[in-house]
Amino acid sequence: MIDTIFIGLSLASILLLVALGLSITYGALGVINMAHGEMVMIGAYVTVLAHIYLGVNLFFAIPLAFVVAAALGWLIERLVVRRLYGRLLDTLLATWGVAILIQQAVRLDLGLTFFGVNLAGLGPGLQNVQVPAVLQGSVSLLGVNLNVYRLFIILVTLIATVATWYLMYRTSIGTQVRAIMRNPKMAAACGINVKRVNALTFAYGSGLAGIAGVMMSGFKTVFPEMGTPYVVDGFLVVVAGGVGSLVGLIASSGLLGQINGVFAALTNDILARAVMFGTVILIIILRPQGLFSFRGR
Amino acid sequence: MSDADLNAAANVGTAPVEKAPPSATATRIKTWLEYAGYAGFILVILVLPFFFDEFTLNRFAKYLVYGMLGVAIALSWGYAGILNLGQGLFFGAGAYMIAMSLKLESRTSLAQGSDTPVPDFMLWNAEPGAPTELCCINPASFLWLPFQATWFGVLMGIVLPVVIAGIVGLTIFKKRVSGVYISIITLALVLLVRLVVIDAQPVTNGFNGLTDLAYLTVFGFEFDPYLKETYYLVAILLSLVLVGARLLVSTRAGLILQAIRDDQNRVRYLGFDVPVYQTVFFAISAAIAGLAGMLYVIVAEFASPTFMDLAFSITMVVWAAVGGRASLLGACIGAILINTIEASVSETQSLVQAWQVFIGLLFVGVVLFLPRGLAGLSSDIVDFVLRLFNRRRPAEPRPAGEAMRPPVAAE
Amino acid sequence: MGTAALTIDGLGVSFSGLKAVSAFSMIVETGELRVLLGANGAGKTTLMDLISGKTKSTEGRVFLGDTEITNWEEHRIARAGVGRKFQIPSVFRDLTVRRNLEVASCRNPSVFANIGFGFSKAAKARMDEVLGVIGLEDLRNEPASNLSHGQTQWLELGMLMVQDPKVILLDEPTAGMTQSETLKTSQIILALKGRHTIVVVEHDMAFVREIAERITVMHLGKLLAEGPMAEIETNPKVREAYLGSRRLS
Repeated sequence: MIDTIFIGLSLASILLLVALGLSITYGALGVINMAHGEMVMIGAYVTVLAHIYLGVNLFFAIPLAFVVAAALGWLIERLVVRRLYGRLLDTLLATWGVAILIQQAVRLDLGLTFFGVNLAGLGPGLQNVQVPAVLQGSVSLLGVNLNVYRLFIILVTLIATVATWYLMYRTSIGTQVRAIMRNPKMAAACGINVKRVNALTFAYGSGLAGIAGVMMSGFKTVFPEMGTPYVVDGFLVVVAGGVGSLVGLIASSGLLGQINGVFAALTNDILARAVMFGTVILIIILRPQGLFSFRGR
Repeated sequence: MSDADLNAAANVGTAPVEKAPPSATATRIKTWLEYAGYAGFILVILVLPFFFDEFTLNRFAKYLVYGMLGVAIALSWGYAGILNLGQGLFFGAGAYMIAMSLKLESRTSLAQGSDTPVPDFMLWNAEPGAPTELCCINPASFLWLPFQATWFGVLMGIVLPVVIAGIVGLTIFKKRVSGVYISIITLALVLLVRLVVIDAQPVTNGFNGLTDLAYLTVFGFEFDPYLKETYYLVAILLSLVLVGARLLVSTRAGLILQAIRDDQNRVRYLGFDVPVYQTVFFAISAAIAGLAGMLYVIVAEFASPTFMDLAFSITMVVWAAVGGRASLLGACIGAILINTIEASVSETQSLVQAWQVFIGLLFVGVVLFLPRGLAGLSSDIVDFVLRLFNRRRPAEPRPAGEAMRPPVAAE
Repeated sequence: MGTAALTIDGLGVSFSGLKAVSAFSMIVETGELRVLLGANGAGKTTLMDLISGKTKSTEGRVFLGDTEITNWEEHRIARAGVGRKFQIPSVFRDLTVRRNLEVASCRNPSVFANIGFGFSKAAKARMDEVLGVIGLEDLRNEPASNLSHGQTQWLELGMLMVQDPKVILLDEPTAGMTQSETLKTSQIILALKGRHTIVVVEHDMAFVREIAERITVMHLGKLLAEGPMAEIETNPKVREAYLGSRRLS
């Protein structure tokens, strides 16, 4: 029983970690970033490459992945997303194209395969990441064996969530983001550099996905197509939670994670996912504004 | 509330438009060019068998099926404003329905040691000692019983998508779910069904899908996928769907549908039951996708849960976007064109990956620089040419309605 | 005295405790042109929302002729004979002017009845006539998105004419218009008079003087006064309520 809840909690924290960045790009910018899953994948590859080329472990990969994914996100915002604000469904299609490009970049070793060069750690194959010894094994708590790595994920998610909350509600840049969220034109009129803030917001959201990728690499195989399921799950969490609501996001990832965990224990992983999708559909139909919504005028 | 509205209203520019109305001649020329586009396209796909062998024709038939999907997408996206990201659900439903019937007709299945037709995968996975009858070889196998009649599978290939679309459509449109939420629900739905199909391994053969199918036999004629007749079956049905859909959008109902796309509420206050209109067209689009699914099974001889992959559903939307989301013919040609090129390129191994890069760039590029797709582009070209011929006339704004596109050979 | 076209009986609604409209009653005779006055927040637009079904009332009843239409779905109320023009002009921007009118002239609401082509001679003649009245004949093949603000308003009025409802609700038809546009709008509305029963919400007093017969004044969701223009202008209660908040509009 308790271990099922624990599994559900760790699934929930993964969902939350992935959805956090997506929620920011969707809620604040009105962009459906289908390349978000690829940012997760990039984060995972950063872990792989950091180990191979820098010889550092997963802990050091976290800040590195954040920076790499954020930089990539910033680039995507500048080149593609910036031209599409206000065209929600077009952002979905264009970023799907971007997702394909990122996947190909990894698969083709950044294009070097055309010249016969192959980089270790990239390419179409599968990669695995060695988890630091500290994070292996399990600890016993209240008579239940808890996997240390899962605990670590929960911890990282917690930190990322608190940091995001702090950034959004306790800093001036966060106030600017929230102002843009409500009314971009008015925000611009108030002297907020909307373009710059948008780019930073997108970069931050992507950076969070990068961190999520590092976490995934610890217990999942790393390969170029690994990101796609995450963007779907993440997006469903965002919509179910209510756009622009951090509380809603936590609630919906908690709910969906537990549903996933419980049904996986009762039946199997496939059906558990199906039940999760069904739940989201019901939520959208019954409460289109999501579980929590701040747009309650 | 009232203040905000008032401000918004007051902020709208009040400068009158100083543009000459489009000349009647130009509008008529464009209409005729559009008809010529349809006629030309249909002519091209009907004469292809005179130039290609059966093997190539089989491949073209697949692309024509994709073209039919393009028509379904343009109908719901371009005309109804409903971006269905789960069109694969209807395609898959159509495919599985006919595939079940064709599976039961397959002679190789019979050879697996049963006296009556039972799908081979059911026999392989049967509990020891279970009866080898379709009724009860496993707890859910009775669902296959009606599919012993081929007409039932074919009928269900249309009926099932329509019923699903009807139920889903009425539910979401009555609730006034709109825009991106429709896309998310349809997307979640197709993934849900995909998982259920994979999980229901005893009746669906899970990941492997239904393979080793018989040819569709109609009045004693076998539609061997490598026959010209099979190609014609697809080409003629595509022509009918294309013309039918084009006629449908020119009806009064089609006009009201476009009005709903522009402003639902206005239509409501004109007295139309908006959810019913949306659902009907959603279901028609689903029926076309279901038909496409069936034809795909006839041509490609398998049905698989990959039809319900996220990537497939999004990819077909992009085909339509490349061709022109607001043009039935454009979306159809877009789908055919991309697949034809992709297949030609894929023959060279080293180009397969490069092609994917190109596809990615194409998606981004079309959305950024060519939102109305090839159809919009050709419409602009026609406008330009018409202007060249009528220099003395003032600049002509583009007439609304479907953009036209000159015939493009699918080769 | 004619017969009542629109009867409102003790209508009210509250939004989370706030009574936007309460116990409001009004009878509009057939063929009448009634102007609804009131400061911002007096509940005029909410009243129109209640009549046309956009907002569901919590008390009272609405009759169209003898038919009770309280809280019907919007399209049923519209079908029963209530046409509405919103404050922000809403037309079908991607369709041409003429096609906008065509949508409004589909007589049968059913999908399947509308799977057919073209329009009757009478409907076409009516559309041509309306195009003349609203002065958009030359722009008939222009997409509605190319129209100016005033032209868009006129097009929406034209759609109402083609729709031919018994009662027409107009919410600030001259909002954001230039003086000459306002003048033309009042001519269009006067052309509607007699054929239809009309209820107009308006702020522009010059415009109101131009068109008004009887005026109903609302204040804080309630009926304040009702009567002919001259009577309303000298009504002390109206002056007091208006001078208190008039500057806002």
